[in-house]
Amino acid sequence: MSTFDVLRISGSGLYANRKWMDAVSDNLANINTATSTDQSAFQERMVTVEATDYGSGRGGVQVTGAQFGSAEGRLVYEPSNALADADGYVRYPDIDMADQMTQLIQAQRSYQANLSSIDRATEAYKAALQLGKG
Amino acid sequence: MIADATMTALHAALSGLQQRSEATADNIANIDTPGYLASRVDFESTLRNELANGETATGGQGAVTQSTDPTNTNGNNVNLDTETTIATETGLRYQLALNALDSKYSLLRSALRTS
Repeated sequence: MSTFDVLRISGSGLYANRKWMDAVSDNLANINTATSTDQSAFQERMVTVEATDYGSGRGGVQVTGAQFGSAEGRLVYEPSNALADADGYVRYPDIDMADQMTQLIQAQRSYQANLSSIDRATEAYKAALQLGKG
Repeated sequence: MIADATMTALHAALSGLQQRSEATADNIANIDTPGYLASRVDFESTLRNELANGETATGGQGAVTQSTDPTNTNGNNVNLDTETTIATETGLRYQLALNALDSKYSLLRSALRTS
């Protein structure tokens, strides 16, 4: 436990949620990225997190890495596409737009919740710093 | 002695409340972490006992327990509304304890001036 620990803890929350939003926007940006059938499709990126030293009282959250979605993607018949194979198929990533948007909102709200924590803690710390001055 | 029983008690309360606000911040930071259970801090029981027995408040760490609220599908049981309520209450009580401590210091100051 250090003096301004709430700021560190909520800061880790901000970081984790920003990483999540980064991953989601990357997924959305590549939602229409076609590849030829002999290559793997763009894989959806899912950030994994875990509580920092859970139970030790250190607190916070940390990004542990990412999991990847299907490399197979979905095959779409698009003979006019320059990347189409002999049968006229191309590979598109298997990413659901609605799912990504839901995740984006979730990450955004969590980010805001952590920001409110920081605001509240700052108020308390400021008041504590005025102690004995009155 | 400059620090009397009231001051040590207030000091213990401040550090307990500080610990609780850390726990709340931790809960909010882990609001989407799979398998995370919200932590709850209790320093009041110890403090109350110490004061009732006429002991000096130790200001030690409060007891941390895990919330027994039902979890959602990913095993997490943090509720933002609960956490916000706790955080707001903790913040106000922290200010209250600070004000009380501040008045103690004012008294001390006046005592130092009257000589």
